[in-house]
Amino acid sequence: MTHTLTATGNAYVSEELLTGCQAVAQGVRLADVDVIAAYPIRPYTEVMDLISKIIADGRLTAEYIIADSEHGQFEIVKHASSVGARAFAGSSGTGWLYGFEALAVTATDRLPVLFLVGNRALDDPGAFGVEHNDALAVRDLGWLLCWVTTPQEALEHVLIGYRVAEDRRVQMPMALAMDGAFLTHSQHIVRIPSVEAARKFLPPYDLGDRRLHPDNPISIAPQVNEDWVMEIRRQNWEAARRAPQVIAEAYREFDAIFGTDYASSPFFTEFMTEDAEVVLVGLGTVAAPARTAVRRLREKGERVGYVGLRWFRPFPTVPLRECLRRFQAVGVIDRDFAHGSPDDGGILLHEIRSCLYPAAERPAVVNFIIGLGGRDISIADCQRMFDLTRQAVGAAGGDGLVRWIGVRE
Amino acid sequence: MIRRIEINYRGVFQKTLARQVASDLVRIAARTGKVGFSNGRYSDAPERNGVPCKYFVFISPDLSEEELEAECGAKLDIDEADISIVLDDTMVKGVEPWAWSGIRPINEKVIEGGFLLVVSNKEVGELMKFIPKKEYPYHLAILPGESSLSGLWVFHDDLTHERVLGAMAGLDPELVSIDAVESYLRERTKDERRVAAAVEGYEWVHHRYKVVSPEEGIDWPHAVPVLPAWTEFREGVAVPAIQRGFRLGPRGQSRSTIFRRGTTKTMRPVIRFDLCRKCTLCWLECPDECFDPTPDGRYDVDYQYCVGCGKCAEVCPVNECIVMVDELRFDDDSSPWEFWNRDPQGYVDWAEEKKGAMRQKPLVVTGAGPVVTAPGQRVPARGVHDMTDQEVSR
Amino acid sequence: MVTPEQNQYEPIKSVHQVPLEEFYSSGHRTCQGCESALTMRHLAKAAGPRTVVTGSTGCMYVANTSYMTTPWIIPWMHTQLGAAGASALGMSAGLRALMRKGRLAEERINVIAFCGDLGGGDMGLSGISSALQSNYNLLIILYDNESAANTDIQATGLTTYGAQTTFTPPGSAQRIMQRRWKKNVAGMMAVGHPTCRYVATACATYPPMDLMNKVRKALSVGGPAFIHTFCPCPKGWDYHPRYSHEIGELGVRSGIFPLYEVVEGQVRYTYDARKRRIPVREYLTKQGRFAHLVDEDMDHIQQMVDEMWEKWEVPGVAPFKGPLSEA
Repeated sequence: MTHTLTATGNAYVSEELLTGCQAVAQGVRLADVDVIAAYPIRPYTEVMDLISKIIADGRLTAEYIIADSEHGQFEIVKHASSVGARAFAGSSGTGWLYGFEALAVTATDRLPVLFLVGNRALDDPGAFGVEHNDALAVRDLGWLLCWVTTPQEALEHVLIGYRVAEDRRVQMPMALAMDGAFLTHSQHIVRIPSVEAARKFLPPYDLGDRRLHPDNPISIAPQVNEDWVMEIRRQNWEAARRAPQVIAEAYREFDAIFGTDYASSPFFTEFMTEDAEVVLVGLGTVAAPARTAVRRLREKGERVGYVGLRWFRPFPTVPLRECLRRFQAVGVIDRDFAHGSPDDGGILLHEIRSCLYPAAERPAVVNFIIGLGGRDISIADCQRMFDLTRQAVGAAGGDGLVRWIGVRE
Repeated sequence: MIRRIEINYRGVFQKTLARQVASDLVRIAARTGKVGFSNGRYSDAPERNGVPCKYFVFISPDLSEEELEAECGAKLDIDEADISIVLDDTMVKGVEPWAWSGIRPINEKVIEGGFLLVVSNKEVGELMKFIPKKEYPYHLAILPGESSLSGLWVFHDDLTHERVLGAMAGLDPELVSIDAVESYLRERTKDERRVAAAVEGYEWVHHRYKVVSPEEGIDWPHAVPVLPAWTEFREGVAVPAIQRGFRLGPRGQSRSTIFRRGTTKTMRPVIRFDLCRKCTLCWLECPDECFDPTPDGRYDVDYQYCVGCGKCAEVCPVNECIVMVDELRFDDDSSPWEFWNRDPQGYVDWAEEKKGAMRQKPLVVTGAGPVVTAPGQRVPARGVHDMTDQEVSR
Repeated sequence: MVTPEQNQYEPIKSVHQVPLEEFYSSGHRTCQGCESALTMRHLAKAAGPRTVVTGSTGCMYVANTSYMTTPWIIPWMHTQLGAAGASALGMSAGLRALMRKGRLAEERINVIAFCGDLGGGDMGLSGISSALQSNYNLLIILYDNESAANTDIQATGLTTYGAQTTFTPPGSAQRIMQRRWKKNVAGMMAVGHPTCRYVATACATYPPMDLMNKVRKALSVGGPAFIHTFCPCPKGWDYHPRYSHEIGELGVRSGIFPLYEVVEGQVRYTYDARKRRIPVREYLTKQGRFAHLVDEDMDHIQQMVDEMWEKWEVPGVAPFKGPLSEA
């Protein structure tokens, strides 16, 4: 169903009922992507279902390739990007890892391809439900890694993602992550930007003097001995360090064109944290039950809040530290697990504890392993996590506590 | 106290030989109460036929194995060597293992009072024509012998290995005594010929020997490239291509300016342009693009880039037109075609003088066939797979 | 005069018509007498300047390029070991999209991806197969030196039966560790991809100019093409570099490496080994990698080669044995 809006002027032209995957497909259309490589795996696949139809209907001019495997799919877009084409691919779970080698080189080749990761638990046993270990596997490779929580954000972050990734100061690949089954498959009304507004925000992709073309004779990625590797790694680190500023700029520009409000808190969102004593921190769709729990507990007078992390790479270390140190206790929600890790908890827990370490006064930090393999996270679960987090305040051994929530015992 | 030994050898052709010499030095050290270990320069691998490589041996009478490893083991190349062994004498013209290394002097690592031990049939003076000056005195010792070349799977077992061990004992008895070498070889191989070969090396190594004083040697013409800081080169692992460029005549084809590879060759093609039938095969079949088409339809050769594979000589249909000649008979890389144009008769005389009377055609399988080791001694080639696993180079 | 600058080619009829200019030049750290390097050189020479090349991991990656140097004059990029097919698809798709949208001038740019026998005959098969199904103008070159030469000579699916490699050393209990018969990759590609316009095998040096002409045909057919080249390797096959031409020629003339092209389903033999073959021994005995073989091993190899030329339905190409029978 589609009808034209007048209220938002010409930045948004219509509303459509879209799943997260479909919203990304619309973002790909609006980004005028040049090359798309597809390979099926649930739950991300639906994005390719719609993109292929959009192309079939002539609403996007792009080369659309059905690859032989995820490895082939990722290498196709990597090389398309190297000749100067804007490229899109995506995957989920075990498929994402099948192409892992290609994911590593796309980052070191500094090629700004955008990928959708419909988060999915890794095999074995085969499981369709959400778990974040798949996308998080690239966290140390030189990727931009961002979680969205609604189809609207998903669509808008295709445009924002390309803008940041392709910026000459960054030029890193971008993984747009969303919770499989939940956000990938749930339909919401989405406001669709106009082609003109999208073009205004997102300039054409220009790889400059790194574009592989007969008029620009270069060799890309010659073999190195130990005499060059550290300098190359150092360059890539510098690009990652430049990214936060570029992200902030992109949000300011996006807000100006579309009337959104991203720039005020670009890397994470705070909900009712003003006077909060206890907060939960999480990635992705857990925001919905968590915020609802916050509202209900607030009605009972509890001073609780929720911090939704959007950008995982680059990790917003300083602003997040400044935010979290204000509270008495922080409950970190991990929809993943880091086996054999120092805190014997989730990946997000380790990042946040490390981020807080330099703070003079640190809140108690507890960790919840929940919703693995797509198990529901209810409002009640979130209320329970708030209670457990509050109990850690001042309690001996409270800090660093790791609890599995919802596992049969 | 640490003894650092580097073994300079021709990639692949001398891989097994270098590994054997290094391994035996470590084993003999262990038998005589010293601590030692050996390793190859990691960046040489995978080895390429003829490209200069290094193998290292570190031995100490007093350090613990861990201390020795800490002092020497972590390094990808060494800073100094008590003894630099050179298994192929054409490497005295310098070695360029890979791009951005530059052409390095063969005596670069030799310390004051140290030894440069070269396997060669040349005289001291013939080698000193190519070796640069050092600021301090050191020794040049020549172990008489042909450069011993094997294949990857077939080993040219001409006892060079045993002779080098003997020569080491001759140069540095503290490091390894001739008695230790003899008893080791006798026990391990039960082959008196091998013991005798070691004794030969021990005795022969002082025949062509000199103390090289600081003023002796040439001024080194090659600079060592400076690697740029991380801020000084393009991001995204993109590097400039070789600039397009071609014109007829000497050095008319554009080539890499940072990696020339000429030090890979042990022999170079000498061309009788007057005999050339312009069949193009030398140029067409060259895997290293080192021939330059000339306006008269012939093919000049850029010796800076020639790696001396010998294909051109093999495919040339004209007898005596292209002949491979010992690299040490030449001291410059200038264009032979220009020489020939300047002075046709002078060039032909020069070419024939360089070619000399002898013509050697290598066996098809390098290292195969019976080999003369000393008067009256013949040893058959061995497959590397015939050796004990310690002998086999990996 | 049609010109390579526009990627319109004439056949090279004589050695004197071979373009003089190089587009792959000196500065590669390859072995003396490396026929894989010669394949790269002739490939670039035949294709000319309006070309982009990717090379998957292997000798022609690691030996060719040492960082901040390259032998390539035309644009070149590394691709992963199993990604030759994908890289060709990606470059072709990117260039076509940019031209359709007017962001690049319309022109014919050659897209070439090469891989070794490990990258093309084993790991990369499915990607190459996928590229040969496409409708892009692209060329996949498999340079076959019959081993993982860059990791110091390990057996691959394309290593000759009986050959010594570091993964297949002769031993006292087993003389032959490489018991697999060489995969028939070009035949597989021709039989398996009915819409693929051009499949060929070639040897860089024998017959002269043949590889260059096949490259030009492949680049002109207006669709995906595949060439499998026979590249003697002095290091791994263990012969003196000086004899690289001879080994290649013997491989062809003994019939152990068939030379042919398949154009629109028609097989044309470049060297018809049905009519004349020299004994395969003349090829085997000139390589140290076969030094451990005994007569019966050589007889077995000879018999397999004879079968390929005398019993196969399409000799040297497709191992079906006729006549076809009713169900």
